[in-house]
Amino acid sequence: MGNINFGIDLGTTNSGISKFADGKVQIFKNPVGFSDTLPSIVAYKKGRILIGDKARELLKSAHLDVFSSFKRKMGTEHLYSVADTEEQKSPVELSAMILKELQSFIQDEKPQSIVITIPASFDTVQSNATKKAGLLAGFQQVVLLQEPIAACLAYANFQTQDQSEEKNWLVYDFGGGTFDVALVKINERELKITDHEGNNFLGGVDLDHLVIEHLFVPKIEEVLNEELLFKKLMSKENSFYAKLYYELLYKAEEIKKELSVKETINTELELNDGDHYIDFEISRNDFNRVIAPKVDETITLIKKLLEENQKSASDIERIILVGGTTYIPYIREHLKEVFGIRVDHSIDPSTAVMVGAAYFAGTKEEDTQISKTETYLNSNHKESQNSNKIDLKLIYEVNTQDDEELLVGSVSGDFDGYYRITRKDGGFDTGLMSFKNKFSEFVKILPKQINQFSLTVFDQNQNVVFEQNDISINHGIYNISGQPLPNDICLEVDDNFGSTYLERIFKKNDILPLKKTIYKTTSKNFNKEANDKLIINILEGKNATLPASNMSIGYIEINSKDLPINLLKGMDIELKFSMSESRDLSVSVYISSVDFEKNEVFNPHTKHINKDKFQEDIDKVIDEIETELSYVQNVDEADPEDIAVLVKFKNIKDELFRIKFDLIEVQEDEQTERIFQLDERKRRALQEYDKIVRFRDLIYEIEEYKNSKTDLESQLEEATQRQKEQFQKIIKDEKIFLESNEKLLIKRKTKELDKLHSEIYYQKDEAYASLYYYYKYRDIDEYKDQKKAVKLFDAGDKAMENNNFKEVKYVIQGLYDLLKVKPKNPFEDTDGNLGLK
Amino acid sequence: MLNIINQIFEIEKKSKDQDISIFERNFERIHHELEELGYSVNNPIGKLYDSRDTSLETNLIGNSSKPIITKVLKPAIFQNDGSGNILLQKGIVIAE
Repeated sequence: MGNINFGIDLGTTNSGISKFADGKVQIFKNPVGFSDTLPSIVAYKKGRILIGDKARELLKSAHLDVFSSFKRKMGTEHLYSVADTEEQKSPVELSAMILKELQSFIQDEKPQSIVITIPASFDTVQSNATKKAGLLAGFQQVVLLQEPIAACLAYANFQTQDQSEEKNWLVYDFGGGTFDVALVKINERELKITDHEGNNFLGGVDLDHLVIEHLFVPKIEEVLNEELLFKKLMSKENSFYAKLYYELLYKAEEIKKELSVKETINTELELNDGDHYIDFEISRNDFNRVIAPKVDETITLIKKLLEENQKSASDIERIILVGGTTYIPYIREHLKEVFGIRVDHSIDPSTAVMVGAAYFAGTKEEDTQISKTETYLNSNHKESQNSNKIDLKLIYEVNTQDDEELLVGSVSGDFDGYYRITRKDGGFDTGLMSFKNKFSEFVKILPKQINQFSLTVFDQNQNVVFEQNDISINHGIYNISGQPLPNDICLEVDDNFGSTYLERIFKKNDILPLKKTIYKTTSKNFNKEANDKLIINILEGKNATLPASNMSIGYIEINSKDLPINLLKGMDIELKFSMSESRDLSVSVYISSVDFEKNEVFNPHTKHINKDKFQEDIDKVIDEIETELSYVQNVDEADPEDIAVLVKFKNIKDELFRIKFDLIEVQEDEQTERIFQLDERKRRALQEYDKIVRFRDLIYEIEEYKNSKTDLESQLEEATQRQKEQFQKIIKDEKIFLESNEKLLIKRKTKELDKLHSEIYYQKDEAYASLYYYYKYRDIDEYKDQKKAVKLFDAGDKAMENNNFKEVKYVIQGLYDLLKVKPKNPFEDTDGNLGLK
Repeated sequence: MLNIINQIFEIEKKSKDQDISIFERNFERIHHELEELGYSVNNPIGKLYDSRDTSLETNLIGNSSKPIITKVLKPAIFQNDGSGNILLQKGIVIAE
């Protein structure tokens, strides 16, 4: 037999649900909107039942069927008339709807018993009504707990309490719309409410109104030349004042929050849709002065409570704070000032009551005769889905391009009940919608992603009879009417090693039309006088392959002479690409630092081939093949497999030479069939070359990465915290980049590891010993002043003998300065060829 | 991050109100960077009020049968956490 464990704070304005497990309290969040609490409001609108936030929206409007604060009517005969359904609802029924809604916050369990909190002022009839609401909501066992007691439990469980002495606590509960204070007696055996006081019409919103009236309105009246503005705002005389009221209310809430953490703030009010902006400073003192009268009202109630119970402040051990309004520092300070006792605000006041309810539920045994709390073993509610009590067929489009999609459900046989559809991200909820046998709903779709919906169907008593949580609608991912791209569309960019690689703009099978903006930086300096070129080369083919083995479909060359001023390395380049259904490619280049813009459209039928770039691509690979071939000293001793590769290399090289010679014959700027034939031949040859080297190089780069990582790990003990974090940052997503097939990406990671390794290594002065010999055994002619160099060697040798590594460091610095040609920093990025990376 | 996005939203709104177009590219770039970080910002200005849209907290004014969102005090912000989108901040709007 277990404990109840679940607790509900059924508040006048807001409610919440929590659970006690493993010594801790978990507060459940609303799966729609993700807040900790649910406004205790129910609305009916055109066959739809809205509970919580969306019902609250209607409360502020003139809508008829919105019911709030029904807690105040608990235990009375009062009935609420629902015009939409022509029904009458009791406060108990409305409360039961709130309780049911709170149960939907729990994803993987269905509690059968519950602790519900009630105000200290509730009499037996009101308490019984609350219990009835719990039973109506489907709980088999309902235990009631007074709110101040719940708050005390939350505080008491948070701290270690000395329980030997009897103590009195004051529970100061200042919520959004109500104020309550209770005197609670605490001793070893029990927590008991001695007496209480309250005002049902005093809450945080009254403080917001004071801010509007005294801090905002005088400033606005001045600018708009208005009189009696506050009165007009409160009566919402017309839509102008109604709109301004809501804007000011929002501002007042914001400044209340800000002034809880800052001493002064600057606030800005926008008037007449941006015609005027008033900017002024508000200090915490201004705010305190304005809200003081309402806070004093609470003080008067406390004094009255103490007086009636013949207690003085010295009889009270502490005041504990409950309710969101108590976040205001002035309230805390003022209470302490007036009563001179400890004001405890160590736990979150807005959830204190539900936390206490859960603590209590964690100690309260569940009745033996009730069925056990149902637990769903997996979050998808598979068990519950299998136990669906009705046969419902659902029809919807899995793929869409629209921002709404129709979902149709039909139940076989006669059915009368409600359905509810929610979206997993928390941004869509139909509320409870009544239907007979069949329903249809246009659900809202978020663009460019998979939208996950859940459907729940309820019977007339709002018991769940059907659940489906795996409704997925993809937006913009597939579209049968559009043309898919046959190949990747890529941009050629510089890497940091003097070579280039492809960066994908559009992916193969993406549906046309397509649009994308990417941001790059310049990888070299562009001197206006030097004829430097920035090359934007767009290719169609396969991502991660050798750029030159793909077909160029767009080529823009920007000459530095055409730029207004010199363009420096590291400046931003904005590139906008769009491809139409007929595959026209539009490219827009914008360089903000020099305010330069160039736009071009490339038609798929008119190819442009740049002869220089063509030539460079070939030369580069010829060079690479020659280097490969030079590694083989003796062909006779080579492995037969290697020979086969060498032969292939040789053939590719010969073909590239033939293309090179044929290219010479093609006239400058000639866009003839011939150059396209050559381009085709070039691509074929380079694809073959890429096929041979790509996987071999990839394996090599992975090996290099792993070696660098192992080397660095051996040094990690000596690394600083920052360096350790940097290491973790580099290796994060390791699996993804090692499996990416992109050798340059892996190479960049290896370089980052090596750089970090070197940094850690040279942190120690001893590390400079080996570096010293690197300088000492260089040819003496490499130094500008050999006499000076020899002197430095003498000093270096002496320092080495004495293990004076600090001195060695200085000697190395001196030798470096003397070198005619400085050694290249292996970690420095090479300037790019194309000019963008 | 939410505060930064809200400030950007306000700056963008003000420059639109004042017909200042020179920041357009900068805003485009900022939105691009935000998207790269997984954030998407929804400004529903001019759209029809939908009581099912729980990403917005609406202040309804008047009795229009089809209220339109006329003012956005705070935009709705979603974040993609790798497994899907999650509502990070409810938008606060006025519809009339």
